[in-house]
Amino acid sequence: MSAAERAEPGLVCAFAVTRTPPGPTALASVPGHEEGGPLRVLDAGGLYVVVQDVPETLFGEQALAERLNRPADLERCARAHHRAVEAAAGTGGPRAGAAAGAAVVPLPMATLYRGDRSALRAVDERRPVLEALLDRLRDRTEWAVKVHAAEGSVDAAPGPPAGPEGSGSGGRAYLSRASARRRDRQEAHGKARTEAEAIDAELRRHAVAATRHRPQSERLTGRRTPQLLNAAYLVENADRDAFTRALAALTAEGGRPSVRADASGPWIPYSFARWDEEPVPETGRREVPA
Amino acid sequence: MTDLDHRYADPDGLAYGPAAGSLADLLERVLDKGVVIAGDIKIDLLDIELLTIRLRLFIASVDTAKKAGIDWWETDPALSSRAARDSLADENARLRARLDALESSLEGDSADAVEETSGAAR
Repeated sequence: MSAAERAEPGLVCAFAVTRTPPGPTALASVPGHEEGGPLRVLDAGGLYVVVQDVPETLFGEQALAERLNRPADLERCARAHHRAVEAAAGTGGPRAGAAAGAAVVPLPMATLYRGDRSALRAVDERRPVLEALLDRLRDRTEWAVKVHAAEGSVDAAPGPPAGPEGSGSGGRAYLSRASARRRDRQEAHGKARTEAEAIDAELRRHAVAATRHRPQSERLTGRRTPQLLNAAYLVENADRDAFTRALAALTAEGGRPSVRADASGPWIPYSFARWDEEPVPETGRREVPA
Repeated sequence: MTDLDHRYADPDGLAYGPAAGSLADLLERVLDKGVVIAGDIKIDLLDIELLTIRLRLFIASVDTAKKAGIDWWETDPALSSRAARDSLADENARLRARLDALESSLEGDSADAVEETSGAAR
């Protein structure tokens, strides 16, 4: 079943590995990278890789590095990658839901090969890991949950505290007000953190695994309050209702006044498709100086 | 940032759309999550798997992301240790070069150096 190398100069961009290849019509309806050919499937003998031919002029090292340094191109590329990964899972179409999707192991954006042969070899060399991950991710989706301190609970300082030391206009009074404000802020922040942890604990009850991304900066989130939790949960499809119910309760306004929780999902389980977090023999993961 | 089109309609009508930072969520996932089957271990020069592209790309994207305010990798142990290793290697190379230069100049000027030393001792 060896795949023929293509004649024209180009690269092969790989998106995801699956056991159940998406149907050709479903694949054909999903554009991958705009600059490349149609999505296609490589048969690696029990495992299938969804790939796309892309021109080397745009996806070669230099060209791609330049393009990805332009935010608009970076975004287009990321969305194209995500589309193709969803197509590999059969979840990209209008009628398919993530629950119906086949298990896929997503590959990082811009996984490029010189040709089909090297893509297939890469899959073949990591077959046991990929199989294990496909078992782990089958019938599961990822949910992203972010918790921020509520506006006004942390940063917006409350008015001057009541009490004998709160009034007055001397330097001592000023200092005492300032330290009271600081204390309030710290208390509010501590409370928000506690609530964020409680949310995490509650959601973990309905998830088979959880992981955390680094909290995003305020510049990135566009919020005035800090992000306290940037978590991802791997949820069994059978438990999805329970999870989303818990989520709905947690994200409802007013339930937890110190924080604001937002969720997105279901996602392809990107955050759990990593074998470096799995207990695997060290031999396979030798680092080289980059 | 534009809205993300990744969401699915939930069977129960509950739909969780992306929050405001949706592009960030996506980049957070597609840039450095997923299985690297490009091989972090060897680079085959004859039929290269373009690992270097992936790594350099990631670095390039990181620059872009940084400009956009995305900075989650800074505490990523894998990446920061790599960066630390790189900077150590660089520093090592620089020090070696300086040492070489010093040694060769020292050999050339050893007579002067001795004189200067004894002069200073006096």
